[in-house]
Amino acid sequence: MAADDPDRRKFLKVTTCALGAGAGLALVIPTLRLIAAPGSATTVTGPSEPLDLGFVDSLRLGAKPKKVEVIAPIVKDAWTAAHNVVLGAAYLTLTDGKVSALSAVCPHLGCAIGWDEKSYLCPCHDSTFGIDGARIKGPAERGLDPLPVTVKDGRLQLTWVRYRAGGSSREPV
Amino acid sequence: MKLWEAFRERAALSGKPRQLSAGPSFAYVFGVVLMFLLVVEGVTGIALATVYSPSTTDAWGSVAYIQDQMPGGWLVRGLHHHGGSAIVIVAGLHLVQTAVAGAYKKPRELVWWLGLGLLALVLAWAVTGYWLRWDQSGFYAAQVELGIAAGTPIFGGLIKGLAIGGNDYGNLTLTRAYAVHVIALPALVATVTYFHITIARRLGPTPLRTAMAPTPYWPVQSVRNAVAIAVTFAVLFIYVISQHGVDLASPADPTSPFDARPLWPFRWLFELRVIAGSAEQFAAMAAPAVFGGFLVSLPFIDKRTERSPAQRKMVLGVFAMLFSVMFSLTLASYASDDNDANLDGRQRKAAALSARARQLAVTNGVPITGPLDVFKTAPMWNARTMFAKTCLGCHGVDSQDRKGPVIGPGHGNRAWLTQFLKTPSGDAYYAHTKLAATEAAMKPVELPAADLADLVELLYSETGASDADTAKVARGAKVFEGACTDCHSRDEGEASTSGPNLHGLGSRDYYTSFIGNPKSPVHMGKDKSQMPAFAREISLVDRDAIAEYLVWLRTATDQDVGALGPL
Repeated sequence: MAADDPDRRKFLKVTTCALGAGAGLALVIPTLRLIAAPGSATTVTGPSEPLDLGFVDSLRLGAKPKKVEVIAPIVKDAWTAAHNVVLGAAYLTLTDGKVSALSAVCPHLGCAIGWDEKSYLCPCHDSTFGIDGARIKGPAERGLDPLPVTVKDGRLQLTWVRYRAGGSSREPV
Repeated sequence: MKLWEAFRERAALSGKPRQLSAGPSFAYVFGVVLMFLLVVEGVTGIALATVYSPSTTDAWGSVAYIQDQMPGGWLVRGLHHHGGSAIVIVAGLHLVQTAVAGAYKKPRELVWWLGLGLLALVLAWAVTGYWLRWDQSGFYAAQVELGIAAGTPIFGGLIKGLAIGGNDYGNLTLTRAYAVHVIALPALVATVTYFHITIARRLGPTPLRTAMAPTPYWPVQSVRNAVAIAVTFAVLFIYVISQHGVDLASPADPTSPFDARPLWPFRWLFELRVIAGSAEQFAAMAAPAVFGGFLVSLPFIDKRTERSPAQRKMVLGVFAMLFSVMFSLTLASYASDDNDANLDGRQRKAAALSARARQLAVTNGVPITGPLDVFKTAPMWNARTMFAKTCLGCHGVDSQDRKGPVIGPGHGNRAWLTQFLKTPSGDAYYAHTKLAATEAAMKPVELPAADLADLVELLYSETGASDADTAKVARGAKVFEGACTDCHSRDEGEASTSGPNLHGLGSRDYYTSFIGNPKSPVHMGKDKSQMPAFAREISLVDRDAIAEYLVWLRTATDQDVGALGPL
């Protein structure tokens, strides 16, 4: 056996690289799979049903927006399950006997907006919205996101939806 | 190729290709295999760290999530765990090889000591890693190991306090073990490994044989390294798959006993501790000290330049003796576990508990109050707990102090009702009550079999069960009119003359009301029931939950109750 035989050397080189690559892939593939899995998985599961906000009459709604906390009875987050979790807030208004709700999440980059005398204001980048949620001033590209509300047996039911921040169209996350 | 040349030049790689002074050999693969295994630990460790959460409330849940819910999580976790074992094995072989070859001798003493240091660090890695899962095995391993450490003269208390982060095991125990496991130890191992390898390379390998022309490292030695790596990893991979990763016991529970066993590299010490009896503390510290001390001082003990094993029988004999002591103690430890019949039973129970906890974690999630509360997410857990605490004393079939009818699976079904009507004061029914001995006790119902069956069907229909036979119920109502109405009513809310009103008997509302106040005129009445009114003690919501459980019991069997899991 000649150590410097070119054919043999080539065979040894190819074998070394193949074995090394095989071991490397067997290690890296399962590892990357684990790391990547949560990227496209539903790891946080909120309520699938509308949330009860109590009797409409007791909420004492008016033309001026009223902020309410949106609380989920149970939220599963990866390995945990928690009860009565605050998901976010909504602003409720009563106009012509009809309740409407706006998400308190700014459609620009997801900061929390507040009611500021005559309009909604996002303190992060000064986006401003009218009482109906319509966009008055950017940088937000769309108005505030409305949340579906219904009244059942006199009680207000709100469906919590989180929309993708940014852009002019609403896509649920 | 041009780019590669340019890179080589700028990276100052333009030196001569590496040469092996004494030719290639499989004897030289150990270092590279260990490096590869360290990479396996690093890569899988990073992946695990993207999920693992070091706190007493979350550690077990996050590990169970990796093991049971993440795609291939068990595989990565298994590679990380058993890869650590592989490091200990390969490092052990490397150590034996070095000792036999006499490669610790001048001028390689530093390399030898750095290698011993690495072995100690790797063992510390295994110990801290084992705690992190915070299941019964990891938790009790921490208890025992730190208990031994606390026995260190003078500094014991300080060592333990620093390790667990205060006076008791808690969140800081895990954050500290985690910091050591994923930051301090990797940094230390990397540093020591760097010097171990650099110095070893400067000195060159200990010549295995005499006179041979130098050969280039690449590819003749490289291919041997690659084969060794591939074989090691294949064995590791197959083993991990055969074990479905690595076990995970039920969550750490300081109140329940557990047959804790240390990781295998420490089993010999575990056995030694048993043999040592009252001197266990001394044995647990002195034995590793003797063994470690011997290895550290080898270069001083065996100073001659002679490296042929045949000429070093004395030193190698002691070395072999120490190793065989470790080996036989390890075997003895496993053998005594295998021969312990009671242990097997306890371990089966522990495994069932673990399977239960992990299954509940998958279906219901781990409560944020901590992983032990996962058991409370079992079906009707709250009701069953209250029932066991408040009701079984008088209604349990095994109760020493039974005062009322037995309440268990099948309670209130057709067979139960039939038997009750035939022998109201039978042992499983009113026999143990004060009422049974009085004139007011219910008399056995003596009816033709068909009439009795119709009456049973009527009473059964009061539970609200949907499978009642309407024709039989109608006939049963007539039987009831003729045989029962002297004492019982079936009209809602009406107080009966002497026996309880049977409206809704065995339904959820009936039970809720009965538990709240058995002495109510619609139930047993003021004087006939010994059972206390629970309306104040047990809230309406909880009584309703117990009632739900009682309704469930009607159609349940012992197996169904067992399937709900332990409380």
